[in-house]
Amino acid sequence: MSETAVPLVEMIGVSKSFGGVRAVAGADFTVREGEVHALLGENGAGKSTLMKVLSGEVGGYRGEIRIGGEPVRFTSPADAQRAGVAMIHQELDLVPALSVAENVFLGREPKTAFGTVDRRRVVTETAALLERTGVTLDPRRPVEHLRTGEQQLVTIVKALSLDARILVMDEPTSALSVHEVERLFTVIGGLRRAGAGIVYISHRMEEIGRVADRATVLRNGRVVAEFDARAMTAAQASEAMVGRPVHLMFRGTGTATGEELLRVENLAVRRPRPGLRDPAGVTLSVAEGEIVGLAGLLGSGRTELLETLFGVGAKGPWQGRVLLRGSRIRPRGPRHALKLGIAFVPEDRRIAGLALEHSVLANTVLSIVDRIARLGLVSRRAERNAARETTERLGVKLASLSGPVGSLSGGNQQKVVLGRNLLTEPRLLLLDEPTRGVDVGAKAEIYRLLGEAAARGLGVLLASSEPAELVGVCHRVVVLRDGRGMHELNTAEVSEADLLAASMGEGAVPGLTVGGA
Amino acid sequence: MSVELDEPVRERRSEFLPALFRFQSLFGLVLVFVAAVLYSPHKNGQLLFLDSGNLFNVVRSISEIGILAVGMTLVILIGAIDLSVGAVLGLASVGTAALLVRDGLGVVPVVVIVLAIGLGFGLLQGVAIATFGIQAFIVTLAGMQIARGLARIWSGGQAIGITYGDRPGQAPVAFSLLGERTFGGLVPIPALIFIVVAALAVVLLRVSAFSRHVYAIGGNEKAARLSGVPVTRVKIAVFGICGLLAALAGIVHAGRLNFGGPNDGGGYELDAIAAVVIGGTSLTGGRGSVAGTVAGALLVGVLRNILALRNVDANIQLLVIGLVIVLAAGLQQLRPASVS
Repeated sequence: MSETAVPLVEMIGVSKSFGGVRAVAGADFTVREGEVHALLGENGAGKSTLMKVLSGEVGGYRGEIRIGGEPVRFTSPADAQRAGVAMIHQELDLVPALSVAENVFLGREPKTAFGTVDRRRVVTETAALLERTGVTLDPRRPVEHLRTGEQQLVTIVKALSLDARILVMDEPTSALSVHEVERLFTVIGGLRRAGAGIVYISHRMEEIGRVADRATVLRNGRVVAEFDARAMTAAQASEAMVGRPVHLMFRGTGTATGEELLRVENLAVRRPRPGLRDPAGVTLSVAEGEIVGLAGLLGSGRTELLETLFGVGAKGPWQGRVLLRGSRIRPRGPRHALKLGIAFVPEDRRIAGLALEHSVLANTVLSIVDRIARLGLVSRRAERNAARETTERLGVKLASLSGPVGSLSGGNQQKVVLGRNLLTEPRLLLLDEPTRGVDVGAKAEIYRLLGEAAARGLGVLLASSEPAELVGVCHRVVVLRDGRGMHELNTAEVSEADLLAASMGEGAVPGLTVGGA
Repeated sequence: MSVELDEPVRERRSEFLPALFRFQSLFGLVLVFVAAVLYSPHKNGQLLFLDSGNLFNVVRSISEIGILAVGMTLVILIGAIDLSVGAVLGLASVGTAALLVRDGLGVVPVVVIVLAIGLGFGLLQGVAIATFGIQAFIVTLAGMQIARGLARIWSGGQAIGITYGDRPGQAPVAFSLLGERTFGGLVPIPALIFIVVAALAVVLLRVSAFSRHVYAIGGNEKAARLSGVPVTRVKIAVFGICGLLAALAGIVHAGRLNFGGPNDGGGYELDAIAAVVIGGTSLTGGRGSVAGTVAGALLVGVLRNILALRNVDANIQLLVIGLVIVLAAGLQQLRPASVS
């Protein structure tokens, strides 16, 4: 690599704080011409903030940015685009009903002599761009008829039509099939040869080894390591990302567990067009009093497995079987699942967990109102007592039971969802990312509550993307990839780094046993 | 993102405002009532507006819309809409007249059959909406056409007059009760029916498990489903109740006017929606009450009455009602999120 040439992008000592929280602290980052530079880090490490500073979406930062040696200070994404920087987000900014060509030229359509949109030119110019990028797509097709991977390629072509020389891709493969990933890599290869600089954010280690030249690791907003991407191992990278000795945030629910509560044998859901993430052969078990973790990257099928067990997963015939206390079950829906003794704390409490405008009381007792009702009528006192008892037991900090649940802090909201589920007196509790967006104090309390519930004989299946949480809270962890159970780890013997490496698909980790038995 | 509630100062200061917003239609009703008293024309030193006969006329005038609005409140609370109620009212009034006069059935079977028709119509719409996932607006727009078509087919396109007596082609005298007053000739029967329906709905919406499910669906349907609320069943039931009440309003309509008109009830669905909105129920669902709706319907009734007593032009009345609707909706926008 020619070190003498002026880099395409230089970010020098960039810092950015939100409120009192330092998201990025004095980060240096460069991208050279014709280079793919991977950016790694755990959730909240500052990757996105750093890239949003570069693409003009986040202002008010300290430090310096130079593009091709020229100091710049972007005030908006449009500003950054004019300088050749474009960011491709995980959520694609396309108008579904419009065609590929119309999307590419949205807002700057070429006009005819009469002032109308020159449709022919829109199509021919898009076709030329597509050809140059090596993408075979009909420019006249509506975007909504394209697959996710194809839509992603459209956003790249759109960025290129703006003469972008620097492309930031935020987890571009998280929703792509293997075939689509290959196609994306071909396009990236072409862009690199053409001299573009690409920042590639991803959690998938094997991809980074294939597509990237360099890799920079961020932790707590700081650059902590830089690797030659081709020589780097997953173990090295995850060590750098986690960066500290494993913290046992919570351990000591006791290893003594009761009888087998849940048994999942080779569970797979078949539907006409299978989704990537549907359960595709999962085997695991949960004993009474045991907390079992579900690990895996975004798109590994953790959420879908929990939803399937709760009766809200993809429709389609099941393969394999699910046993609850020895009897075969297939929940038809939440109501049936709850009746069977299975409760579920969904991933996003604001979308799927709570009616935010409604009172704490209404949200807490929702699952049991028809149980405490007599002849269909609910006693206000019974309702209030149940809610008060639960919120007190869970330590929900609130001004009044009749206040809206949306005014509570994230941690307290989550406790309300947890409390509602515990009120149903379940035998098995399914949790999907229960501590996302929750402060550290409330996190510890939620762990304590889970421990208490398990100590009472409840079985817990906990899906999380935080290795520290899985290692610290669970007795065992099952690692999923592409909807399949890949490994089973005993958390007493493995570290966070091992877990991360296992999630990313590097097999040679001590303490790993291949699951599926 | 989140606001902690444990600031006592903030709590105390904001006690009045939520109350004002929660009971906005009640405050509005009081205001309009006071204004009506002040502007009421006099006759022999008496305020015409406050005459008890006049006041009950107000209640009677809103009884049909009020009954529709009670059902509409439930529908809007789950975040849906029912455009078919006016046409179902027309169908029910035709059915009532046809069954009484042409088929010579007794009052009880007629009422049962017509209510069953309304209930069945609503349930079918509910199934299309909840089970097959078609938008309520579309389903009930179609339902409106279908009910209107059925009413015209059943009646042969002509209003069916109801005369009372024992001979064939005459309705039992008992049915003429709907045109009369009770409690010493003071309270019109339609007004009484409305009051009973509204009172039942207010009470049930406070104490039933069903109502908890209704509010939860409107507040967050996904969360409600995941919490074990039988969302599909509750939605179907809500549309069933709305259809049933529309049929009841149709029976009242036929009894009050002594005929069944196939084109009657047109636009009533919008008046019912207006009463619900003025009553402070959120069109996005999950917030509101039948008590508010009743106050909303009364507010419109009082307003119309006083304008009529002052001989204000009917077209001006429309303008005033329209402005009140906008005002009520505007107040809802100002309403702090913390008021449920």
